[in-house]
Amino acid sequence: MSTPISMTTPKVTRRAQTRLGIALISPLMLLVIVFFLFPLGNAIYYSFVDFDGIDPTPAFVGLQNYTRLLTDPEVWHALGNNAIWIVIGTAGPLLIGLAQALLLWKVRHAGVFYRLAFFLPYVLPQVAIGIVWGWIYDPVSGWVNKALQVVGLDSLATGWLGNPNTALYAVLATAIWATTGFVLIIFLSALRNVDGALMDASRLDGVNAVQQLVYIILPQIMPVFLMVTTVTLVGGFSVFDIIFIMTGGGPANATNVIGTYAYTNAFQLSQISYGTTLALLITALSVPFAVALNRLQRRLSLQGTGA
Amino acid sequence: MTTTTALKHIETDPAPRRTARVSRKDNGMSPRRRTALTGKHLLLIVLSAVSLFPVILVISTALKSEAEVRTDPFSLFTSFSLENLQNAWVVGDFGSYLLNSILLSVPSTLLVVVLSTMAGYTFARLPFRGRTVAFYLVVLGLLVPFFAYMIPLYFQLRGLGLLDTLPGAILVLTSTGVSFGTFFMRAFFSDLPLELEQAARMDGASEWQIFVKVMLPLVSSGAGALGVFTFIQNWNNFLVPLLYLPGGEFRPLTTGLYQFTGGRSLDIGPLAAGTLITIIPVVVLFLVMQRQVAEGFISGAVKG
Repeated sequence: MSTPISMTTPKVTRRAQTRLGIALISPLMLLVIVFFLFPLGNAIYYSFVDFDGIDPTPAFVGLQNYTRLLTDPEVWHALGNNAIWIVIGTAGPLLIGLAQALLLWKVRHAGVFYRLAFFLPYVLPQVAIGIVWGWIYDPVSGWVNKALQVVGLDSLATGWLGNPNTALYAVLATAIWATTGFVLIIFLSALRNVDGALMDASRLDGVNAVQQLVYIILPQIMPVFLMVTTVTLVGGFSVFDIIFIMTGGGPANATNVIGTYAYTNAFQLSQISYGTTLALLITALSVPFAVALNRLQRRLSLQGTGA
Repeated sequence: MTTTTALKHIETDPAPRRTARVSRKDNGMSPRRRTALTGKHLLLIVLSAVSLFPVILVISTALKSEAEVRTDPFSLFTSFSLENLQNAWVVGDFGSYLLNSILLSVPSTLLVVVLSTMAGYTFARLPFRGRTVAFYLVVLGLLVPFFAYMIPLYFQLRGLGLLDTLPGAILVLTSTGVSFGTFFMRAFFSDLPLELEQAARMDGASEWQIFVKVMLPLVSSGAGALGVFTFIQNWNNFLVPLLYLPGGEFRPLTTGLYQFTGGRSLDIGPLAAGTLITIIPVVVLFLVMQRQVAEGFISGAVKG
């Protein structure tokens, strides 16, 4: 780790450092053990028993929860929704965020205002976002249907969140609206590393905007592109709040993802063990990506300090 | 993963360096370029409007008269009244939700900042046997989603008598923030030059004095950014109060709002007012401390 243990550090100092170090991390370690590691261990235990929330000595059932998970059609349906969520919920903010960043790149007047306006949705609580977008999607007086009416597309108007065919995509659109600003800010910072002289020179050489984007800009911001993708990927497996708030997984399970399905099982059907096993599935799927992200960020930060 | 250092200056305007050169160019700008620039701004304004529209909708609906909400809830700024805010506060119980949000967010934020600073210093500066193992256990919290252990945690809190209590929820909120916090603060302490502590040690300072008097003042900006970020996270947190404060006595704004949508979905006026009360602190904090907020969110992105 960061401090090299210097050969010349006297023994007294080292002992004092050890004492202080242990004193300083003890409260944290206690908290981490009690509120994280212990329940995490318990989660694995729960997945091998049949716990209903009451019986203190639940029966051991071996891999039954896991085999049930593999044969449960709703798991596959929910996983499919997670996949849709991840693909569209990653591509959407990436493309829109990149477009916005390129638009904003050289803007000086009111640049700060635009940045604030775009980033603001990202800091809002999901409940508030869910409620307002519920109004925007309102079948009768919502803005989406009103707008469709204005342009003469009344036939497309629907109860966006109540219609099983549109609900997932409606919630997704909301999520994209909320995360694009975050992606934009990261892209903007990456664009600052793009060589201005190279851009100018290429323009003189008659290179067009698309070529500039493909050959000069994109290679420069590729690592950031990867990072943002992994971030949204990791989040995509454990998505819960916004779906739970806007549709509760309905109508008729249409927007169920593993997160909402796990919640329903554990807290509404009292199938604690099965719910926990589902939650562990989310973990198993997202951890590899989280590890990759971590590596990526470490590499990025090394590049950043060098520049 | 010290993205912090890499992306620290994200919200600071990249322009100043360029301003002088380009503004001179502005005067001699060709009409075609001027049109292009105007078009660009128009597009940006439209995009900003889309981005801000839901917030504007909340404000507009919250500040409408009751009668207006009933007939035309979502048209923008057709009347003005504080009835909805009053109703939300008195009938809708949003006054006590607000208090609970403060009682949950403030202590948990302070705890995260204090614990993370202490641990961050240790992991950056105080080597001892077993430190690496401890570090990995803390960092594991960055990789494992809250979902993995939230269900057993419920029963554990129940067993400890902490379910549906403020201390229980505060400790859980704290525990969800410390992994990132420790990581974040460690990066700041690692950046400080070794000579500082050596010099202080030469002067006869104890290890504790080096930490408190020499190092701590130098990371105050980092601790501040962590504090702002953590506060927003805790204020916005939905799952923790949903799961661990089920009784309703200590319900904060987030789950209070959710409860309100389920119960009386037709009370759009007070609901809008409640939403406004919920987002005001976050929006104000964001506008005042945008750089710290962005910094925190960008380096905190790991936690899904």
